[in-house]
Amino acid sequence: MNEPHTNKPGPGPGAAGGLERGYRRLLAWYPRWFRRENEEEILAVLLACAQDGQRRPGVEAAADLLKGAARMWMRPRPGQPRTVFAAIRLMWAAALAELGVAITILVTLGSVRGAVLHAYPPAWHAVQVQLLSDAAQAPLVIALWLWMARANGNGRNRGRAAVAVFSGIVCLAVLASVSAGGITYAPADTAAGMVHCLTALAVVFLVFNPASSRHYRTSMRNGSSLA
Amino acid sequence: MQEATFLILTSLAAGSQHGYGIIADVAEISGGRVKLLAGTLYTALERLRTDGLILVDSEEIVDNRLRRYYRLTPDGEKRLAAEAARLQSHATAALRRLRVNPAGGAA
Repeated sequence: MNEPHTNKPGPGPGAAGGLERGYRRLLAWYPRWFRRENEEEILAVLLACAQDGQRRPGVEAAADLLKGAARMWMRPRPGQPRTVFAAIRLMWAAALAELGVAITILVTLGSVRGAVLHAYPPAWHAVQVQLLSDAAQAPLVIALWLWMARANGNGRNRGRAAVAVFSGIVCLAVLASVSAGGITYAPADTAAGMVHCLTALAVVFLVFNPASSRHYRTSMRNGSSLA
Repeated sequence: MQEATFLILTSLAAGSQHGYGIIADVAEISGGRVKLLAGTLYTALERLRTDGLILVDSEEIVDNRLRRYYRLTPDGEKRLAAEAARLQSHATAALRRLRVNPAGGAA
């Protein structure tokens, strides 16, 4: 064993409590599976690297930990197939896109109102109801995508089932919109719906892939609750 | 291969080492130029473990805290040797050209 270095005494007993709490708060940004495996070990190294009397994490160390946390969130957990990880990233992207759509609706509501009232005033009430309904359901859709991402990341079959059902609903809604002439009177909305539908179908394809299925079977057998 | 990764593997080439030991060793190997921080170190260790280049050799509890020792796998040794040979070849080429043109600048 290569043993030229031993841990330093660390920051001292008085300062260690606050410093440890500070580091734990930063480590809380890492994925749970990584914390469970590494938190105590990293903490020991952080405390060993601390200056005498140091009471708070330094800016450089804090930035480095947050950067490390961001990188770990971008990596699949050990044993997770790339198909499942890709599906989870798509679900995050869909949640983010939904947030973008909701913000766009709210920000442009005034200008849309002006345009509709100028072009065809009687249509405003229907357009307003549609836009506000889209914005109001956004938090629910975002929460659903995030829940499905978490459930599928944990290898839960109910997460897969939810993806399949949700994708069906989204794609049926798009088909209904297209058949009602949505492409003509609301091309942007229909196009956004199509992208949403295609994203959902891609997620279904990824989570029902044979490589993914093994992951779900293993997770269910192990009763995994990694997050 | 990134410099930090190369230095971490180099640190483990002499035998198993724990996290703080790697940080101190990397500083020593690089003459104090590279200062590894814990976030960078453990992100790299996780990646190297996933890639099968290192593994956990042993664990112990010191002052009520976990200390884990890492070591190179045979694949890790091969990768490090290949990277060292590549860097050596580049350095040799650079030095040979500098000897031809001792002013050090471009011809």
